[in-house]
Amino acid sequence: MIKRMKKHLFLLMSLGCILLQVQALKAQQRFTVSGYVKDEQNGESLIGISVSKAGTSIGTVTNEYGFYSLTLPAGEHQLQFSYIGYASQQKTVNLTGNQHLDIKLEKSSSQLSEVVVSGKHEKAVNTLSTSINRLDIAQMKKLPTFLGEVDVLRSIQTLPGVTTVGEGANGFNVRGGATDENLILLDEAPLYNSTHMLGFFSIFNPDAVKSLNLIKGGFPAEYGGRTSSVLDIRMKDGDNQRLGLTGGIGNIFSRLAVEGPIKKDESSFIVAARRSYIDVLMKPFLSGDMADTKLYFYDITAKANFKLNRNNTLFVSGYLGRDVFGFGGDVNMNWGNTTGTVRWNHVFSNRLFLNLTTFYSKYDYSLKFGNESDKEANEPSQNSSWTSNIINYGVKPSFTYYLSSKNSLHFGVQGIYYTFKPGKGTGTQEGTEESVVELNDQHALESAVYLDHEYKPNNKFGVQYGVRFSAYQYLGKGTAYYYNDTTPGARRRLVDSKEYGTNELIKGYYYIEPRISAKYTISDNHAVKAAYARTTQFMHQLSNTASPTPLDIWTPSTNNIEPQVADQYTLGYFYNAPSNLFEASAEVFYKTMDHQVDYIDNANLQLNQYIEADLLPSEGRAYGIELYAKKEVGKTTGWVSYTLSRTERKTQGISQNEWFLNRYDRTHNLNLVATREFSKRTSLSANFVYASGTPATFADSRLEYQDWDIPYNSTDKRNNYRLPAFHRLDLSFTLKGRQKKRWQGEWVFSLYNVYARRNAYTIYFQQNEDDPNKREAVRLSIIGSIMPGITYNFKW
Amino acid sequence: MKHIRFSILLAMIAGFTACEDTIDLDIATGKSYPVLDAWITDEAGPQEIRLTQSVTSYTDNTPAPIISDAVITLEDVTADRSYPFAFSDGAYRYDPGGDQSIGVVGHVYKLRVEYKGETFEATDTIKRVPVIDSISYKFKTAEDAQSGEEGYYADMHAKDIAGGDDYYWIRSYRNDRSNRNTDMYAINGAFNEGVADGWNFIDPLQEGITDEDKPYQQGEKVIARIASLSKPSYEFIRQVVDQLDSGGLFARVLENIRPNMVNITPNGKQKLLGWFGTSAVSFKERTIE
Repeated sequence: MIKRMKKHLFLLMSLGCILLQVQALKAQQRFTVSGYVKDEQNGESLIGISVSKAGTSIGTVTNEYGFYSLTLPAGEHQLQFSYIGYASQQKTVNLTGNQHLDIKLEKSSSQLSEVVVSGKHEKAVNTLSTSINRLDIAQMKKLPTFLGEVDVLRSIQTLPGVTTVGEGANGFNVRGGATDENLILLDEAPLYNSTHMLGFFSIFNPDAVKSLNLIKGGFPAEYGGRTSSVLDIRMKDGDNQRLGLTGGIGNIFSRLAVEGPIKKDESSFIVAARRSYIDVLMKPFLSGDMADTKLYFYDITAKANFKLNRNNTLFVSGYLGRDVFGFGGDVNMNWGNTTGTVRWNHVFSNRLFLNLTTFYSKYDYSLKFGNESDKEANEPSQNSSWTSNIINYGVKPSFTYYLSSKNSLHFGVQGIYYTFKPGKGTGTQEGTEESVVELNDQHALESAVYLDHEYKPNNKFGVQYGVRFSAYQYLGKGTAYYYNDTTPGARRRLVDSKEYGTNELIKGYYYIEPRISAKYTISDNHAVKAAYARTTQFMHQLSNTASPTPLDIWTPSTNNIEPQVADQYTLGYFYNAPSNLFEASAEVFYKTMDHQVDYIDNANLQLNQYIEADLLPSEGRAYGIELYAKKEVGKTTGWVSYTLSRTERKTQGISQNEWFLNRYDRTHNLNLVATREFSKRTSLSANFVYASGTPATFADSRLEYQDWDIPYNSTDKRNNYRLPAFHRLDLSFTLKGRQKKRWQGEWVFSLYNVYARRNAYTIYFQQNEDDPNKREAVRLSIIGSIMPGITYNFKW
Repeated sequence: MKHIRFSILLAMIAGFTACEDTIDLDIATGKSYPVLDAWITDEAGPQEIRLTQSVTSYTDNTPAPIISDAVITLEDVTADRSYPFAFSDGAYRYDPGGDQSIGVVGHVYKLRVEYKGETFEATDTIKRVPVIDSISYKFKTAEDAQSGEEGYYADMHAKDIAGGDDYYWIRSYRNDRSNRNTDMYAINGAFNEGVADGWNFIDPLQEGITDEDKPYQQGEKVIARIASLSKPSYEFIRQVVDQLDSGGLFARVLENIRPNMVNITPNGKQKLLGWFGTSAVSFKERTIE
């Protein structure tokens, strides 16, 4: 395997070299202009800024740190720097040698101007990549809110190819993938639970978020570890010009962020925090069992950056979030993510850029129960607890080598070390011995080396191709279990187990993942793109409920759980209307997925040492078409996305071994987002969603047993029905205060679910509570009424 | 345990907005299968076994059609005795007479059903069961109760038998034993193997004999029952209880419950749904005064 990998790598390198040599032969004397692009007002580095030689198609875009490098023939050039929402800037450079050029762009005074000049190079029609959606915080803020709050995860659900199983569900589904197949990165640290309050709010504080990139297909070789998507969220650097405050007061929670320079122009910081206060507001009204009820969440996001010198910048960022829930002293539960990232940007030469990221990420939960407050005098006191966590340490040096205006190389290595403590339960009762159940710790090392070559030989054609070698090692110290093969769908029986020492290899998996995206420009405004990517996944969230709970554990691939492997093909057509009036795209995708995780009937996923015996490998396929049109300029802006798709799986032992629809399949999914600015101070936003109901398994008969009515599905086919279609309209109205000296305030009034639709989340069968001889099908709507929200946002 | 607490949490979060209503569904008529409802206990007196056809629509309120022409025999494998069950008055019955009991703790039982020319068999073992020491109750006003329902909240006090893992099915009744109220399953004094051995049943189990949405009222009688379970019967009860409590944000998909009756007829084609289980049982009752 390794040998074959080496051979492939060698071939690829040789190919790269040949292309480069061809390039070199034609070269005349060339020099490089490079530097950073920042926001004039607050010094934030700007991502994806178009940098081009005016009047030509030669150009590039800034990377995630605002760095660009463009190699041009010696002589005088007009460079244009542009981005939507910013006043475009032209600079004349006279290249007689390599040059460093930092640029500060000014926000265009008005989004209202009929036509805002925007660069070409960040437009989808001109980029190489396909299946990528980028949203910056300004766009997210325009969306109607849920209870007055801007929400990162809700905003991506308006994009094509992204769905969710229902309102308040934890997680999202991309192109027919399961919720655990999304790699969610916050400043490059992976997160394992992305929502607060079981799914109603996402854990990202919008005041600290700069932008997000959602990659649904055509993955660059740099990304791996999940099969369906990468949600790459970047935090703000913090204003390096002046101290400022932003925040908001809403009906569910409030936010406050402080940012400012540590040293003007050179270094800055941001600290942002949120806390919900439903519990505080309700406290006076609670008594008895409800007194002392705890129900809140908080999160703190912080980041600092230090420009050490022209070629070195250091970033330190971290996140801490927690959901807390409890009754008196007797029930206490909490869970959350903690992350930390340190990054070092180094410019070796004006053509070689390094970003070295090291990160730490932890997800843990803890449950505690006691009986102190309501035990009777003669009863023994009792306490029990249950804890679980995942910890990751990662390091990722990544290099970009800007060889010429036509060639660049991206390469690097990555390593993540995982420790899982799947569960430890302890309990004590007065007069008895402490009892402890502790599941074995698990360890794994995920590593990768990758290379991508981006090649744009002429203004018609471009290609990015590369390969990622992934190695996954399931390591000791731990116990490996071996199970028998049995009737598919039944619990497997343990036949053997073996102890392994620290860092001893229990099972290794090695993959070659080819990646390629190509673009052909038909004319200035039309392009077609195609991509293929193989992706692998070594971490799996075990959940057999409608939506994962915060207690659903993640498990690494083991000798029993094979890694997931997906192959995705995409083909897209992209159009950009003249003067950038609007852009539109149509993409089709086809994806196969191997070794997705499924469960036997009646699987036991909690505190179960032999959990692997209850898992089934499943194969999946998904395909669809996504249509998207976006208008970013003018008084009315917004986008429309429509997805027609299907996602299915086949598991031996389930649904008669035939293909069945995934729980998250949505045939149609339509999203309309529009914002109308009436004046400088007022605007109205609307969001409409229509989606086919998700598949469900319905009982077609009942069994009378021990005074129960047990629902039974005599077809034995899973997901053979659908819930009613989902649709909803949201509105929000923003009123900006008059600009005072520094204080800028705005009121956001929002209505969620305007026509109070009772969208079904699940349908279940039960005996009527008052009359058990009456049986009924019950629809549960998580949000069954109109939800108003008011928030006051401010900036100082 | 997880489920119980999460339901409360969810109810609190979604309480302001969530709603449930009954709806009509257009579902194709299912295929009907024979269903065995056989649970033998160590209680003295007659034991009964029901054999019905499944009703081919969940919401069809007609009682399940009764099958009267099967031959059902229970064998006490340990004592090598056989009890023929005879059909009368809607069920198959056997009466050992007086205060005799056919169920004995520690004995293995085999049930044999002959129906439409094919024979089905399953076995189960009667495990030990602890006594229920007492039932207590407290009055809560609507404001004081988590569920917001006013009434009497009863607790059951019992202690797991020390040594080894014990599996239980706990059921409560309102007023009389034809009026099922709540069902729970437990391992030892809590929910997991290897923990809470010899413990007093923990809070959620104590409190679980009250339906929070419908607490007891003055004059009502609370009846609690603990039934011992073998491991396979425990898995069956766990699946049924989870299935019947499957609403909510973390709803489980409907999974059919596998029967334990095996068709031993060569080339036998029929399926017999349901379950044959055995238990030792202990009861306690108390009237709310």
